[in-house]
Amino acid sequence: MTSPLTARRATRIHPGQGARARGLIPYLLIAPAALVLGVVFAYPVASLVKESVSSPGLMGGTEHGLQNFAAVLPDPLFHSAVLNNLRLFLAVPVLTVVAVLLATLLFERVRGWRFYRSIIFLPYVLAVPVVGIVFSYILQRNGLLNEVLRNLHLSALTRDWLGDSGLAIWSVWAVIVWQQLGFGVVLFLARLSSIDLSLYEAAELDGAGWWQQFLHITVPYLAPVIEFFVTLSLINMLSWVFNYVFVMTGGGPVRSTYVLELLIYQKAFRDGLPNLAAALSMLVLAFAVVLLSVQSVLRHRIERMEG
Amino acid sequence: MTDSERPMSGYSGPTMSRRQFLGASAALLGVAAAPGLLAACGGGGSTNAASDAGGELLVWYWGEQEAPGMKDFFEGAVDKYNQAGRDKAGDVRAVLQESDTLYTAFRTAAKAKKGPDVQYLWGGTQALEDVWMGNIAPLNDLLPQTWLDKVDKDARRETFWNGEQWGLPFYELNTAWAYNKKMFERANLDPENPPQQWDDFIAALTALKKSGVVPLGVGFKDAWLGGWLISYFGAQNFDSVDDALAPFRGDVEFSGEKYVGWLEPVKELIDRGFFNDDVLSLDLYQGEQLFEIQKAAITNSAQPQIVGFQRKLGTDTVGVMLSPAWGQGKLARFFPGASQVLTVTSFSPRKDRAAQFLQYLHEPAVMKAMYDASGAISPDTRFDLAWLNTDVDKQMAKLKPTLPSIWYQYYYPFPFERDGVTPGLQQLFQPQGSVKTAVDMMQQAIATWQREQPAQVDAYKKWTLLG
Repeated sequence: MTSPLTARRATRIHPGQGARARGLIPYLLIAPAALVLGVVFAYPVASLVKESVSSPGLMGGTEHGLQNFAAVLPDPLFHSAVLNNLRLFLAVPVLTVVAVLLATLLFERVRGWRFYRSIIFLPYVLAVPVVGIVFSYILQRNGLLNEVLRNLHLSALTRDWLGDSGLAIWSVWAVIVWQQLGFGVVLFLARLSSIDLSLYEAAELDGAGWWQQFLHITVPYLAPVIEFFVTLSLINMLSWVFNYVFVMTGGGPVRSTYVLELLIYQKAFRDGLPNLAAALSMLVLAFAVVLLSVQSVLRHRIERMEG
Repeated sequence: MTDSERPMSGYSGPTMSRRQFLGASAALLGVAAAPGLLAACGGGGSTNAASDAGGELLVWYWGEQEAPGMKDFFEGAVDKYNQAGRDKAGDVRAVLQESDTLYTAFRTAAKAKKGPDVQYLWGGTQALEDVWMGNIAPLNDLLPQTWLDKVDKDARRETFWNGEQWGLPFYELNTAWAYNKKMFERANLDPENPPQQWDDFIAALTALKKSGVVPLGVGFKDAWLGGWLISYFGAQNFDSVDDALAPFRGDVEFSGEKYVGWLEPVKELIDRGFFNDDVLSLDLYQGEQLFEIQKAAITNSAQPQIVGFQRKLGTDTVGVMLSPAWGQGKLARFFPGASQVLTVTSFSPRKDRAAQFLQYLHEPAVMKAMYDASGAISPDTRFDLAWLNTDVDKQMAKLKPTLPSIWYQYYYPFPFERDGVTPGLQQLFQPQGSVKTAVDMMQQAIATWQREQPAQVDAYKKWTLLG
């Protein structure tokens, strides 16, 4: 017969075991989230990889290999789409600099700052298709913008903003900047609202001017948000511009506004080539992963700078 | 008792001799085979349909956008069909599709093998692409040949492939040019005799431009005009419809006067400033509106829309003309006949019922109802031309039997248009545009198509036209 004391001894957990059990708790806690991520992210990515290296062969069989990549990589339309995505990347520094400057001005409570803040943020809440349709009318050869220019006796500046193959992508670019600017401004304003104002007072006492305060207090303080905004915007320019292009130009004229997303959509849904679309999607994904890796490195550096 | 009549040992239920068993089996087989035999003897679609899956027969259709009134017609026709109990196995439900999702929604459904039993598709290769993907069932197994023969042969040719009929021509979408007779008069042109030859066409456009109007009002921002322009001008050096297929089969190069000669006349129209100045800013329908608001003298348009223009602006203002001839081939003067089709999906468990519904849509009373509601004409010999009630329709019906019929767009693969024809023509509208660049783009598009779509290249090799 076993005494109660012996029984308690028998079931007592060894101190080392307890530590191990405690060590498992975090994993158990994140398990549901990991499961959800696995279902909504890992599985689709795994399927995408599988689709990208397989294609229907003859007699209903399936071929495996890199033939889909070999088919899309030499396509001039693919080159054109990549080039246009890179052109849209140029919107990111413009967006960032203008948004930081505007946020700083609004933070200084210039007269009517609340009104300006609303006006700047308003485009961001509009649906992209609505913005696209409205601008496709405004930017017509005989549209509102050119009419205004003509009335101001600036006819020399009128252009076929969406019909000129050399201009169309830049017109789309400008609309994206116009709409996305509000998000950056609000993001930077939110960060600035937590800044210690005594830093500016101290800088003023030391004789620092507006520009020096901006450069040495505001910008370093905004650095983590700038890094986040830049990365997010780059990924947006890579994989979130379909709506603008689809509505405003459809990829034309002369294929001058094709972006990778539009190409993927056409291969998948118009040409009935889901495997080629998967190969293109893999390339976009790889690009996004590179961007995220760069962001990660930058974040570590900023964290080290912040001590 | 002989062996054959001996009860089976160990069986305690009602006994049956071998002779009785064989007799009963024969009777059962006879009952099971009866519908098939009846059908083979011409028992009709409803008997066939009895072997199909029951439940709702789903039809995804389109057409309201180009033949206004189609939705009312379709819903009314389906209601009558259901109320009359024409399909004993279940009702028909028709769902109007959006232009942008007509193909994407169907292909998604086809991939899941769950969706419509009857699918509307644009004609020619735009329907055959889905045939090549395995999404469509051949109609020859579902409709009697004698019945199919009553459908217009030119229209059937557009979706006849590999010896089988895949699409049932539903309504004609003949395309032509609408012109403003009053603007012609003001430019001292004969409003009742529009130009038929290229030189006369150029002279007329010059006179119209001189009179202060935009001669040609079109829109090319949404890319669709590319298919129209190549179809208006691109086949004029062909001697037969088969010439359209040859470059895609790999028989000939897409080059030389026969295939790319048409780009020079188009460039001439652009260089002479006959088009509106905002061609690349406007969508196809916005370009047509320039004609409707009487800012342009001529526009490209489909027959039902020209009828609409005529109703709005009057028969004394709107006339219809075919593309003027610049080419030297037997198809230099041609009838731009095209038709949209209804198909039976390969994954439908109700194929016979679907075919029965398609036959219903070609009954004379139903065809007349469709024409009255939407102006859409069934390409069917049972369609009585006496029903036509507009000048445009009568004029087109008169021209149709006198000319060879082709709508070029229906015979080339769509990626060729999207990646070659459209950008090639759009760059012609740019200040630095050149015919050579357009040709390069079209040849490049064919090369890309051949690389990416080997199955379609094989399909073209199997494509023999309906004779």
